[in-house]
Amino acid sequence: MIDIWYIAILDPVLNGLIALSQVCYNSFGLAIIVLTVAVRIVLMPLTFKQTQSTKAMQAMQPKLQELQKKYARNQQKMQQEMMRMYKEAGINPLGCMWPMLIQMPIWIALYQSIMQALAATPENLLMLSQHLYSWDIVGQAIPLNEEFLGLKLSQPDPTLILAILVGLSMWVQQKMVTAPSTDPKQAQMASMTTMMMPMMFAFFTLSFPSGLALYWVVSNIIGIVIQYFVGGGWGYFTFPSFKPQPQTAASDQQRALKEGSDKKN
Amino acid sequence: MSRIKKYIKPLVLLGLILIVFVTGCGPITGGGCSGTQTQGWSGFALYKNVICFGSMEGKVIALDPVARSENKTFPSESEWSYLVKVSTPGSACGAVCAPSSSSAGLGIYDTPVIVEELVYVGTYTGKIYALNASRGVVRWIYPREGYDTVGAIVGNIVTDGKSLYFGSANGKIYALDAATGDFKWEFQTSNKIWTSPTIDNGIIYAGNYGGNVYAISAETGKEIWSIKIPSAVSSSISIYENSLYFGTFDRYLYAIDKANGQEKWKFATGNWVWARPVIQSGRIYSACLDHKLYALDALTGKELWQFTAESPIVSTPVISGNYIDVICDQGILYKLDLDKGTKVSSVALGYTAYGDLFAEGDTVYLYARDHNVYAVDTAKGIVSWKFSSLLK
Repeated sequence: MIDIWYIAILDPVLNGLIALSQVCYNSFGLAIIVLTVAVRIVLMPLTFKQTQSTKAMQAMQPKLQELQKKYARNQQKMQQEMMRMYKEAGINPLGCMWPMLIQMPIWIALYQSIMQALAATPENLLMLSQHLYSWDIVGQAIPLNEEFLGLKLSQPDPTLILAILVGLSMWVQQKMVTAPSTDPKQAQMASMTTMMMPMMFAFFTLSFPSGLALYWVVSNIIGIVIQYFVGGGWGYFTFPSFKPQPQTAASDQQRALKEGSDKKN
Repeated sequence: MSRIKKYIKPLVLLGLILIVFVTGCGPITGGGCSGTQTQGWSGFALYKNVICFGSMEGKVIALDPVARSENKTFPSESEWSYLVKVSTPGSACGAVCAPSSSSAGLGIYDTPVIVEELVYVGTYTGKIYALNASRGVVRWIYPREGYDTVGAIVGNIVTDGKSLYFGSANGKIYALDAATGDFKWEFQTSNKIWTSPTIDNGIIYAGNYGGNVYAISAETGKEIWSIKIPSAVSSSISIYENSLYFGTFDRYLYAIDKANGQEKWKFATGNWVWARPVIQSGRIYSACLDHKLYALDALTGKELWQFTAESPIVSTPVISGNYIDVICDQGILYKLDLDKGTKVSSVALGYTAYGDLFAEGDTVYLYARDHNVYAVDTAKGIVSWKFSSLLK
């Protein structure tokens, strides 16, 4: 099993990255960015499908809520009806998870490739020899230059900058696709997921090699760009507003009460 | 209950991601995601009746083979150990930060070198220690107290009897006075150095990871010549007559003219030549990570014979009489006929050694990855004794 992982996934990614770094003026950081763009291009059809699937799911929310009310005491029937509804609409409810699941092995392969390729210790460098192809371009690139934009790609970023970038870009991307729910329970759950995922990845960034964090940031930015053009603008993401807040009914009522008490006085 | 239920789904998703990451980074880093571990791979130096080496636990240890064969309690009269303490966490320690505890050691890569009564060893934390070879007491440490360390020392120190010369991960070659540890000169190269320099007739030869080979005056530290080759230098440099021999990461063994660096020949191998080539009587013996030991004509580069081991060969082989001993990654120690490359005997130890092999008569000493020093009688094909560096 481990052999298959090495032969089919890790070794191609590792050698590809090293060869890319040689092409990219001996910059391993640039190679990671180029690989990220390539991965996102390959996953583009899945990303489109995910975006469409998410939009369709959101469009179905009112109908689903009706079903939930109708079959509140019969969970099995509700599930059957929901699946029927998905089938009629041509939606796979798990469709939006595929791009993420497919990217998982790439993340792992990239993490392992970064650790191996940069060979932070003599033992790592020795181990690397057994995973390299006999291409001249690979041999001439070893050992790699781990410096990129002030970062040491094999080590975590000692500042919080990369962690903030990872968290922020992921949060924006998630906010763009997460529809506000009228159901308070669902709204709370969505809010929690939207916050926790970026926080978790930001936390990972503090202890993972910054090369991997670089991949996350670039990948998230590309995701935001794709979502912007495919999903039609910023979606459900709203920029913080600094304009005066429009008056609400509650504030009108308070003002009326205040005016009333002033007249009495 | 419903409050708990609503958290289950996102928590399961986040947990899955966490599991994937933790298990995903395990196979490479040995289970840890936060960094890499250094272990070290020192070889041996002989002082009178004891052999000295640097352990994977950061100790310099002197062993008496007679006392070990009699299974005496360590240390016997002529034996000692000295722990190289890591008191400056993260200081110039290359890619790896040292443990914060001042009592912990960090694996030693440098094979000790001995001049008269002193044994010298360089550490991964960037310090040189001069110890009394009889008692293991510190004579001096470079850099001096309060000064910055010099960067990780992975290659060996070389000496001409008066001075010590070594390369560092900061890309510099240093010269120190052997008796006092006083700084003599430093020479900045273009990239880090993880291999050993070599000295011949007052000239230091060193390769670095930028694909450069330098010839430097041992007296002044001034460059005599330098060359740029297509790939970085993977092995330490050996000298024979008018040539320098070394391996590169693009899988070649090079022979260049030591007077000007001009290429004489290059020999294609199946992987990196990591071990320092061993030369005797016009023949070069080069162990390779492609599982092979090559015997070549030193003058022409023509292959004379090759021996294929079970797995990659990392450590530098050792010549003993008419035989050459070599160990492969699976821990099989082979004794080969020097003339024909045929196998005379083999001993399966189960653990390999990355440091240089050391021979005295029919006994080969090696420091294996299981933290044991093995004394192997290659004539009889048996382990005479073994000693664990995990001292209690």
